[in-house]
Amino acid sequence: MRILIFGLAIVATTLVVSKNTNKSPESLNLSISDQSISKTENANFMTSLVTDEENTGSIKEIVSAYLQMKNAFTEDNSTGAATAGKKLEAAFKNFDKSALTTDQKKTYEDVEADAREHAEHIGANGGNIAHQREHFEFLSKDIYDLIKTFGGGQVLYRDFDPMVNKGKGAYWISETKEIKNPYMGKAMLTSGTAKEEIK
Amino acid sequence: MQPVKNDSNHIQDSDISKIVFIPDSVMYVLKNTCFDCHSNNTIYPWYSNVQPVGWLMARHIRKGREELNFSEFGSYSTRRQLSKLNGITNSINDDIMPLSSYKLMHKNSILSTYEKEMLIKWVQQASDSLSVKK
Repeated sequence: MRILIFGLAIVATTLVVSKNTNKSPESLNLSISDQSISKTENANFMTSLVTDEENTGSIKEIVSAYLQMKNAFTEDNSTGAATAGKKLEAAFKNFDKSALTTDQKKTYEDVEADAREHAEHIGANGGNIAHQREHFEFLSKDIYDLIKTFGGGQVLYRDFDPMVNKGKGAYWISETKEIKNPYMGKAMLTSGTAKEEIK
Repeated sequence: MQPVKNDSNHIQDSDISKIVFIPDSVMYVLKNTCFDCHSNNTIYPWYSNVQPVGWLMARHIRKGREELNFSEFGSYSTRRQLSKLNGITNSINDDIMPLSSYKLMHKNSILSTYEKEMLIKWVQQASDSLSVKK
């Protein structure tokens, strides 16, 4: 048994050593002149590496994740809302702030600090839809401020239901003219009205 | 090995008492029910030096402060302050706060119906005063 193990060890070592010694510095050289790809393609490739490392997200991704969450709530889908919450968190993380002016950055960061926390709570509370909806109310305010400042990338509607939240009422953002209530879900799906169209 | 403690009696400039008006009766309840986990003025009991209780406590305090820190309330944006105040109302209404384990060890932290109503009323007033700022 011991001889067998020792023998295997020798073989393994030999294989590894031989594999390494076959590699020569020349074969690892990726000089452009030896390759068939053009200089432009090479430059594009290098740029894409840099771009991938930086944040390239836009408001569209944030809005898209929010709408996915809103639609999950209209179907009383707590797990779906949690998934969207995590997606929204990621969208915030990935957002590209470099193109913003100083004022825009200030607005964005003010909203983001709050909205991100709500997204986290919603993401972490799948199974507790009431708690998620509490956070959704404040998140909706944040998203509204965001799209009023930066535009939502599509036509959106600000909807309101005066009945929810113990009569205080609550807003949400929708991509459809048709009313689908994320706070009441199936219990009162069409309760509410569109208060504003945001282009 | 003990967890790091931060239990100064010092009231920071960012303390909520410097941002919104807090009646004495509300302050009394906040101190007994909330501040141990949600401020930098924690009062550590003798058993906080005993493990593993000490570690569990440190975790509660760390998470509590991350979630809401009354001592640093002034450093939050108005938007975030309003969100946190709303969170307080929800936590009280849903009986999530104070934590059951905390109530077990601190009988005087258990909120009566009257105290709950008082806190929620105060939160509403505080939110209204901050909304004017926004």
